[in-house]
Amino acid sequence: MKRGFKRTKEDYIIDGVVYTILILVMIVTIYPFYYSFIISLNNGIDASRGGIFLWPRVFSWDNYAAVFSNEQLIKAYGVTITRTLVGTVCSVTFTALVAYSLAHKDLMFKNVYFLILIVAMYFSGGLIPYFILIKKLHLMNTFAVYIIPDLLSVFNVIIMMTFFRELPEALKESARIDGASDMRTFFKIMVPISAPVFATIALFNGVHHWNAWFDSAYFVTDKNLKTVSFQLMELINKANLTAVTGTNVADAQRSATYAAQTFTAESIRMATMITVVVPIICVYPFLQKYFVKGIMVGSVKG
Amino acid sequence: MNSTQKFWKRFQNQKFYQICALMGIGYLLVFAYVPMVGLIIAFKNFKLSSGIPGFFTSEWVGFKWFSEFVHDINFWQIIRNTVVISLLKIVFTFPIPILFAITLNEVRKEGLKRFAQTASYLPHFISWVVVSGMLFSFLNSQNGVINQLLMNFGLIDKPLSFLASADYFWPMLVLSDIWKEMGWWTIIFLAAIAGIDPTLHEAAVVDGAGRMQRILYVTLPSIKPTIIVVLILALGNLFGGGLGGSNFEQAYLLGNPVNNSVSEIIQTYTLKMGLAQGRYSYATAIGLIQSVISLTLILISNYSAKKASGVGLF
Repeated sequence: MKRGFKRTKEDYIIDGVVYTILILVMIVTIYPFYYSFIISLNNGIDASRGGIFLWPRVFSWDNYAAVFSNEQLIKAYGVTITRTLVGTVCSVTFTALVAYSLAHKDLMFKNVYFLILIVAMYFSGGLIPYFILIKKLHLMNTFAVYIIPDLLSVFNVIIMMTFFRELPEALKESARIDGASDMRTFFKIMVPISAPVFATIALFNGVHHWNAWFDSAYFVTDKNLKTVSFQLMELINKANLTAVTGTNVADAQRSATYAAQTFTAESIRMATMITVVVPIICVYPFLQKYFVKGIMVGSVKG
Repeated sequence: MNSTQKFWKRFQNQKFYQICALMGIGYLLVFAYVPMVGLIIAFKNFKLSSGIPGFFTSEWVGFKWFSEFVHDINFWQIIRNTVVISLLKIVFTFPIPILFAITLNEVRKEGLKRFAQTASYLPHFISWVVVSGMLFSFLNSQNGVINQLLMNFGLIDKPLSFLASADYFWPMLVLSDIWKEMGWWTIIFLAAIAGIDPTLHEAAVVDGAGRMQRILYVTLPSIKPTIIVVLILALGNLFGGGLGGSNFEQAYLLGNPVNNSVSEIIQTYTLKMGLAQGRYSYATAIGLIQSVISLTLILISNYSAKKASGVGLF
């Protein structure tokens, strides 16, 4: 623990174990991403022979060219990007307004509201009644089915509520005395000083929307309205079936198409996966200091 | 001013907050409570054409669907798979973040510690769809990394069919769950460790305790309340897949005709019966069984944790 003391045998053993675990964990966590990356940059037919571990053997952009020339996939990216932006903005705003109000000290009927909140957190009607509801609200096959059902999560409300409760009451009071309306106070004073919790909830919502495939699979049949995670899920389903039937990936691909083609189902899948993962890798490290607090509040105090 | 007037004055005064709160509550009533009410179709003969009013108007059939499920030829297999997968996850997935948090806490090089932590969160933000894609690439028997390595080291003669076999399915679920969620849940335990009063450690040092002894007798007991809270959360979602809640996505994405005997769980079966075959009442009954067991589990675990240690969620 303290520098200057002579390191004991125990220190050496523990440090040895600790650093070994740390390095193993880092390799096991990062390597699958790295591997997907190098396969996505390798000639697909060549990659199906195996033996690629550290860097591309026959470098090629063809997989990405194929991904970005697939019109269905481009449309799906459009849907996913739109739903992520619209969905996150709507959901964060709604969640914040609800949480801010529930955090109001003098709120009447508070206990009833909290009871409704808590029961909704621990119990749910499950998939089938939910599906019937979505269908009867005529949300099936609309873009709104990506936005409206995901507007509010009780878990996120609790995280935000806990945060708003810690803000000094005097802020609200002084704004009120200065004649600002409650809504104005919220948007002009509370939102700017609550950046950390907004960042946390926006990240949770954004990642949820970006990764969502189930609603796209079961609530939407229109091909032009499918999300990119759904398209990727279909590619992965195919891989699953290939694994079962045991056809050689490369052979099946080659016989099906013309000889000049250099990509395979696997290399296309890897390239698609990388395009889905990269935006997340670019965003989450910068929000780390915020969500570390957020998850603490939500799980331990909630 | 009489009390009604006072009431309205107070309400007027907080109009903005009431409107926002009621929007949220109204939203929950529609999207959370209407489906809860819809659970009654588990005891009815519901037709989709009758819509939401059909929740109430369709005819009662009592426990017909439940007894049909119990007599379903897949019943025992589905129950076994759900229970075994869930228990395996609690037993093997739950302790890992605690151990990793303790390990990270022993790292003295701040930069390395932060990098390792940041890297360990990454899989949490990636969808199971992508993780499944990686698993297919790593485990397939043509050019999968794992098979190639095992062959290169001479541990096996011919590739193992990890994906097209029932034997490797459960270990694959547990290991991939650990891979994906370990770093995320480490956050909580690491924060709990950081909150330990440093004088406790100093006192232990004065008393001549080594590092291992301090881990066992200072660190672990100090984070016990956090461990219990997280354990209750995990137990409450036992059949959903514990902390990560991953049972459905794993079973759905990694399940295939060959491993069906070990991959079919209540949630995937509900989906098949309900959305694929349109047997809404039957599927709701199957889903309800899981919800009721889950709710009971969270109440029991919360109660016993409170009894045993004074720590509970509610």
